[in-house]
Amino acid sequence: MLINEELIVIPVQQKTKEGVIEELAEVALSVGRIADKAQYVAAVLKREEEYSTAVGFHVAIPHGKTDAVTEPFLMYGRVEKVDWNALDGEPVDHVFMIGVPEKEAGSTHLQILAKLSRRLMKEEFRSELTEATNAQAIIDVLKKNELL
Amino acid sequence: MVEFTTTVGFEEGLHARPAAELVKVCQKALADIKIIKDDLEVNPKSILGILTLGAAHGDKIKIIVNGADENDVAKNLKAFFNK
Repeated sequence: MLINEELIVIPVQQKTKEGVIEELAEVALSVGRIADKAQYVAAVLKREEEYSTAVGFHVAIPHGKTDAVTEPFLMYGRVEKVDWNALDGEPVDHVFMIGVPEKEAGSTHLQILAKLSRRLMKEEFRSELTEATNAQAIIDVLKKNELL
Repeated sequence: MVEFTTTVGFEEGLHARPAAELVKVCQKALADIKIIKDDLEVNPKSILGILTLGAAHGDKIKIIVNGADENDVAKNLKAFFNK
């Protein structure tokens, strides 16, 4: 399972992009999806430096492919208007963070991104996400939208 | 209207940096642009649209450009994919 209740953080306490990534990575570490937090965070931040992973609609999809990841995962974090250096200049409220081991980064990564992106283009999915106020509700939304 | 088929040559597929660069190229165009892979058709002026394709290394995609600057845009896009 890519995501479960343990991989959902509502609300994330941190208020900066770097802080949010760190906080989510700490959770991924505690549930054993990554073996090395510093290495994973560095991979995610390196990507963010090259270009922002904010995709519009107040959503960011940071991702890291690195051997620090022991099992592919998707995380969800609810944040409050965090500046993500988005192209559209808008702050981010929803963060989907992806982790994939280096060796299988090719297609797993792309499939997760593609599926999630397709859902995010739908207004209904975005409102359902916004209305979900706890981990179980997020899981229900993801299930309903066949992301789980 | 200019239409051509190309192959995704980027090792990591059409996401990450290549996707971000492609959005920039397309946003400069006045013409409408469509990228088609299998039965999916997207507008590459949006990063989310491009990610939706899930185009991996070696995948074939069709590109359709339609508008005043279509020839220049098609040329730029061909150059982009042949990089």
